[in-house]
Amino acid sequence: MSEVTIYTTPTCVYCNMAKEFFKENKVEYKQIDVSTDSQKAQAMFEKSGQMGVPVIDIDGKIIVGFDKESIKEALGL
Amino acid sequence: MEEYDFIIVGAGSAGLPAAVYAARFKLKTLIIGAVVGGTIINTHIVENWPGIVEISGWDLMEKLKEHVKANEVEIVNDKVTDIKKENNSFIIKTLEKEFRAKTILIATGSERKKLNVKGEKEFTNKGVSYCAVCDGALFKDKVVGVIGGSDSAAKEALFLSEHAKKVYIIYRGTQIKAEPINTERVEKNSKIEILYEKNLEEIFGEKMVTGVKFKEGGELKLGGVFVEIGAIPNSDLAGKLGVKLNDKKEIIIDAESKTNVSGVYAAGDVGNKHFKQAITGASEGVIAAFSAYEHINNKLSD
Repeated sequence: MSEVTIYTTPTCVYCNMAKEFFKENKVEYKQIDVSTDSQKAQAMFEKSGQMGVPVIDIDGKIIVGFDKESIKEALGL
Repeated sequence: MEEYDFIIVGAGSAGLPAAVYAARFKLKTLIIGAVVGGTIINTHIVENWPGIVEISGWDLMEKLKEHVKANEVEIVNDKVTDIKKENNSFIIKTLEKEFRAKTILIATGSERKKLNVKGEKEFTNKGVSYCAVCDGALFKDKVVGVIGGSDSAAKEALFLSEHAKKVYIIYRGTQIKAEPINTERVEKNSKIEILYEKNLEEIFGEKMVTGVKFKEGGELKLGGVFVEIGAIPNSDLAGKLGVKLNDKKEIIIDAESKTNVSGVYAAGDVGNKHFKQAITGASEGVIAAFSAYEHINNKLSD
């Protein structure tokens, strides 16, 4: 099973869509709210080189935005 | 290929209400949308949908989706890549499938305009954002700028003021064009300052945005730039189909939401109505559903 982490803010709808997608496909994920944790926000910036959410980490592969095709590919769906 | 009476292209605040009505008219209906919910899902708070005092754009669309599903209309989450006319029906191609319809509603909305200035592309998501609601919380205690003077720009500035230390509204005109209630909120907000008659020449920074340069001269230090300078209608597919557009690329519709092509309707932000709101788009969509219903029934009685 892939290890999935999603960096989000509470008002980010593409984050909601990504989470819905994970639920539909029964993918377990860890969520990090970067709006309340500036250290985690910095970590997200370093991982992805940018400040937009969502950032999705699938087994070390970094995907910026709700890019369904790349997510499917990384998860082997 | 299965044939539908009515296919709605676009699943936003114009397309979803149209589906509810079409289902009640007993039209065999399908709705196809790349972003289910449409652009309003990025609106932090909607306060002008009658009957609901306050709701997020996302939650409002969840309600509409539920309403569509209760009427047993399927929502296909896919991108339409081509629409063409074949005899008396329309073939709608998506990335994954093809559908046939007797009538269609184009409710494809619009896409955010880019500034097209130096540095914009380079710093996208590195301080330049097109979605304050998504990314705003990451600009805690920073000084940010909203480019534009529309109601949406004012609303973005108000949202950002909850997170940022200071928000500049940077506008090329001499008076912002927000709804009076939002103009008043902006004026009363001590964190927001409006800079008039300023045009951006460049966005600069290192790893992240650090500021902007104005065409009129001078610079401003900013930690974030939110672009809200209007939208371009997603009317390319309609144009290819022979639907008449105006000089703003908006689809020209009449009071019955009809275009110049028989059986093709349009509604919402892609259309040429002057006042573009979720509720007016919904109304145009609903009218389109009725026009499609009449069109199909008249054909049957011919």
